Amino acid sequence: MDERNITFMFYGLAVAWGLLALYAVLLGLRERNLTKQLDTLKRMIEEKK
Amino acid sequence: MTALRHAAAIAAKDLRSEFRTKESINSTLSFSVVILLLFSFAFDPSPDMIAEFGGGLLWIVFAFAGALIVNRSFARELPNDCIDVLVSSPASGASLFLGKAVACFVLLFGIECICLPVFGVFYNVTWWRSLWELLGVLALGTWAMACVGTFFSALTVNLRLRELMLPMLMYPILIPALLSVMMLTNTLLTGQAMPSDFGVWLRLLIGFNIMFTTLSVYLAETILVR
Amino acid sequence: MRTKVILALGAIGLPLLLRNLYVIMFLVPDDLEQGPVYRIFYYHLPAFLVAMCGYITAMAASVLYLVKRDQKYDTIAVAATETALAFAAVNLITGMIWGRISWGIWWAWDARLTWALISWLVYFGYLMLRNAIDDPTERAKNTAVYSIFASASVAVTWKAIEWWRTQHPGPVLSIRTGGVQRIDPAMENMLYINTLALLLLGAIFLLVRLRQEEVQREIDGLRRYAHALN
Repeated sequence: MDERNITFMFYGLAVAWGLLALYAVLLGLRERNLTKQLDTLKRMIEEKK
Repeated sequence: MTALRHAAAIAAKDLRSEFRTKESINSTLSFSVVILLLFSFAFDPSPDMIAEFGGGLLWIVFAFAGALIVNRSFARELPNDCIDVLVSSPASGASLFLGKAVACFVLLFGIECICLPVFGVFYNVTWWRSLWELLGVLALGTWAMACVGTFFSALTVNLRLRELMLPMLMYPILIPALLSVMMLTNTLLTGQAMPSDFGVWLRLLIGFNIMFTTLSVYLAETILVR
Repeated sequence: MRTKVILALGAIGLPLLLRNLYVIMFLVPDDLEQGPVYRIFYYHLPAFLVAMCGYITAMAASVLYLVKRDQKYDTIAVAATETALAFAAVNLITGMIWGRISWGIWWAWDARLTWALISWLVYFGYLMLRNAIDDPTERAKNTAVYSIFASASVAVTWKAIEWWRTQHPGPVLSIRTGGVQRIDPAMENMLYINTLALLLLGAIFLLVRLRQEEVQREIDGLRRYAHALN
């Protein structure tokens, strides 16, 4: 019983950190996507000028 | 007063057009009966079970029917840019909203009144024991759905996935009202003695209606004007 | 300037989070009845508080947008809602795991859990609505209105669900029980400190998301400019 208790504690703490880390990763991916789009657009505008 | 006259004119227009074509009344009514039928397969309700969740069951049917009706409300104005015509008319956004909400209310309430006997027949419920109170409670719940539903219909009218987004946005917002009306309908449907928290649910439903009617009327102009 | 703020918050927040994790796992005393599993609470409650701050910020930003029609309020609203949803998800799932051991069930239709789930769904609808509208001004206006409806509904739902069910443990923080000490002071202090750490993390998420929203608008503007150059 006690072992299950501690196991679930680890699950709980892991979920808390895991979800927040997941959101941070999603933000990072979006950041990378946005930077890429921005660079492409800026290059395109430079070429056209 | 002109605002109310405009609202009445719009409500009359919607109801007239609906009663002439009967497109959404017929389909919504058949849909409701089919859902009632499907529920009978899910479980074999004894009188005790109906006393426990008859109200909830009925309101799930009404909620589905409601989504169909309110979706039609603004969607019928899409062809030929009728919605732009309405918005640029002298009627304010609030009158437009109010008129359509009243039309939805009348249609929905009519469908509910027809569904009640069907429900009574399918599940062997004598639903007319507290008839006037029951109708009063149904009216309150229907207004909550018509008001919030029409507002969201206006909000989602231009979206691609309108039929999906409208129920998805509408139902969680309606939860306090649906919860209250389910509790109230449950008691009144089977003529049970009123539990102590009856007044609480009634006040919650009325408060919800007042709050969201005010919000909707106030914000209708904002969402309708481009 | 904002990057510096983000980095400063990170410099304080991340070590604090790590230090808290160490303290939570090893130094704080065990709960008499529940055993070590209660430690999930140190994330469960602070996550809820941060999510509430996010919801309230989103509502305020939506109202301000409708009043002032300044795009920056719309940006704050979406960033706050997303951050709040992330923390609310943490609250819900840690609650379920904790409940599995404490109550023996993954879920119960009690007041707070149900309310938390409904709120999550309502604000998730906000993000769905945002994705469905293309024009930025329409999107900002309509989602601001939806956000106001959502906040009103969530507030009323709280009362409704509370009358409907109550099984969740009552308040334990001494600020809520009016000074009566319900839990060990060491535990209570740890709760407040972890709330602070999670708030800092939430602020970082919010600011990063804000900046991304602004970059997105810059991209949209440049795209229109690039097409115009053709």
